[in-house]
Amino acid sequence: MIAFLWLMLVKSAPLVYAALGGVLCERSGVLNIGLEGMIAIGAFSGVAISFATGSAILGAIGGVASGALLGAILGIAATRFRVEQIVAGTGINLIALGGAAYGLVIVFGQPGASKEVNALGPTGEIAMVCLALALAGLLHVFLYWTRAGLHVRACGENPRAADVAGINPLRVRFWATTAGGAIAALGGVFLAMAELDLYSDGMSAGRGFIALAAVIFGRWNPLGAAAAALFFGAFEALQFTLQRTGIPVEFMQALPYVAALIALAGFAGRARAPAADGVPYRR
Amino acid sequence: MKLSRGARDAAIAFGIIVVFGSLAMMLAGVNPIDGFTALMIGALGNVPETAETLVQTTSLLFPALGIAVAFRAGLFNIGAEGQLLIGGLLAGVIGERFIAPGIIAIPVLLLAGAVGGGFWGALAGWLRARFAANEVIATLMLNYVAIQVAAYAITGPLKSATGAGNETGELPPSAWLPTILPDTRLTIALVLALALALFLRWMLRSTVIGYQLRAVGDAPRTAQRAGIDLAKMRFWTMAFSGAIAGFGGATIVLGVLHRFNLALSPGYGFIGIAVALVGELDPLWVTVAAFVFGILQNGAIGMQAAANVPRDVVTAIEGLIILVLAGRRIITRSGAD
Repeated sequence: MIAFLWLMLVKSAPLVYAALGGVLCERSGVLNIGLEGMIAIGAFSGVAISFATGSAILGAIGGVASGALLGAILGIAATRFRVEQIVAGTGINLIALGGAAYGLVIVFGQPGASKEVNALGPTGEIAMVCLALALAGLLHVFLYWTRAGLHVRACGENPRAADVAGINPLRVRFWATTAGGAIAALGGVFLAMAELDLYSDGMSAGRGFIALAAVIFGRWNPLGAAAAALFFGAFEALQFTLQRTGIPVEFMQALPYVAALIALAGFAGRARAPAADGVPYRR
Repeated sequence: MKLSRGARDAAIAFGIIVVFGSLAMMLAGVNPIDGFTALMIGALGNVPETAETLVQTTSLLFPALGIAVAFRAGLFNIGAEGQLLIGGLLAGVIGERFIAPGIIAIPVLLLAGAVGGGFWGALAGWLRARFAANEVIATLMLNYVAIQVAAYAITGPLKSATGAGNETGELPPSAWLPTILPDTRLTIALVLALALALFLRWMLRSTVIGYQLRAVGDAPRTAQRAGIDLAKMRFWTMAFSGAIAGFGGATIVLGVLHRFNLALSPGYGFIGIAVALVGELDPLWVTVAAFVFGILQNGAIGMQAAANVPRDVVTAIEGLIILVLAGRRIITRSGAD
């Protein structure tokens, strides 16, 4: 039982990070389809920087910074250039996934997977699992109990009103998206440097989209999204057990997406996105 | 006006390819001139390679045309990948069991692909029309449901006697698309794709339905006041868009692989977004853009082999083009209505 719980937490942690990053972006009004790419770039950069410097901590910091950079790019695109965020997010994913695959060959001289690097180890894994859970609480407190959090939510619901009240929605959205990218990249750092000690092609394996589903299923709320991520992670952990009961593995792998579709369609209580989610704001 | 704007987007895309392509090649220790030469020779250096580039062009053109139609109606269909997969799946599982002369088998199987993709697109359209679910998120999620549905189908209830792992058995040769060039994979699918592009251009510009479709995308409120049923229009546009992608999936099964494979698309449905955007959502220019991206896709393989530049850089460049062109004014959101 303890072993299963731990496995569930390990499988959930990357989803929790990415989902929390997604919640922060979307609460500010930027729909972030690029979570998958942010996981991948965080994982790759973390491993590459650890390889270059020999320091796992520097690698982890670098991984987070790369996610923040990708988030900032999406943030600028969404605010300054008012792009269609969904289309831009798809671009972000291709940039990150293609860039990481290209980077593998450039940095490690081999396609497919990196060499093993100094990683965070079992202690780091435990610490990062705890951090993921703590972050869910912290983000909840931030969004609902602080002034800055109120500003973020205001920009996601009614940027015009926020603007009139003296909040600059463009600036808030930019910083929320940048921070969201950094948080999502922590999920990649966890995958490559806490659970493992290398990057391999396709490592993100659709987790960014499962996290997006968790954001929806969790009703755009940090605790809800984290709970959804734990739920989806539990299914991943249970996969081998459930397989023996005869339930096709594909059913379980499709579950997060189907759950999100059901939530979107409004069964079992309507999932309502922030009113201005994904809508560019013109000052 | 339209043309000059299109030319500007093409110039932006071309600039990104040259600048970032060169950078990536230099990082890999390759002279960009050598790198781009290897890319062009890999894509167009001889008849077989040119044919393969046109195969890639065809496979990109179908989803790109479907995406362009949906975008024109203000519907951000990013589910072409799943629609293409379901279309290919139906063509594959029916095709390996369907013994008939080609004149019957081929149209039936292509139609099956269109029905499959259309159904998958309509699912998102239905969620939007019936439950006001965001169709973008719905199409995105359905991509991943599609993979699992296909994986389940070909390993479970529809497993064939000869298929192994993640593919079906081979289709009977009567169901293969006739080739245009002998000893290549270039088939009449290219002709069908070009014909479709011409048809769509005519439909969007010169028919009432095309005008209504554009009106729903450009000015939904006005369209509604003019008596267009927005929900109905969106539903059928999503179905139509998915059908085009699904048809494309079927041409890959019938013309390129002669079987369904779970990995039949290396992301045509996503790269198709870049193709549609570079082509300004105009079927004619989308076709030109598909050819350019076909060169990139196929040339990247030659570039990797001859100049040692990882081909994945092409994916990153395609993503960059999408990101930059996502801000162009042709993309208007149907928004609240």
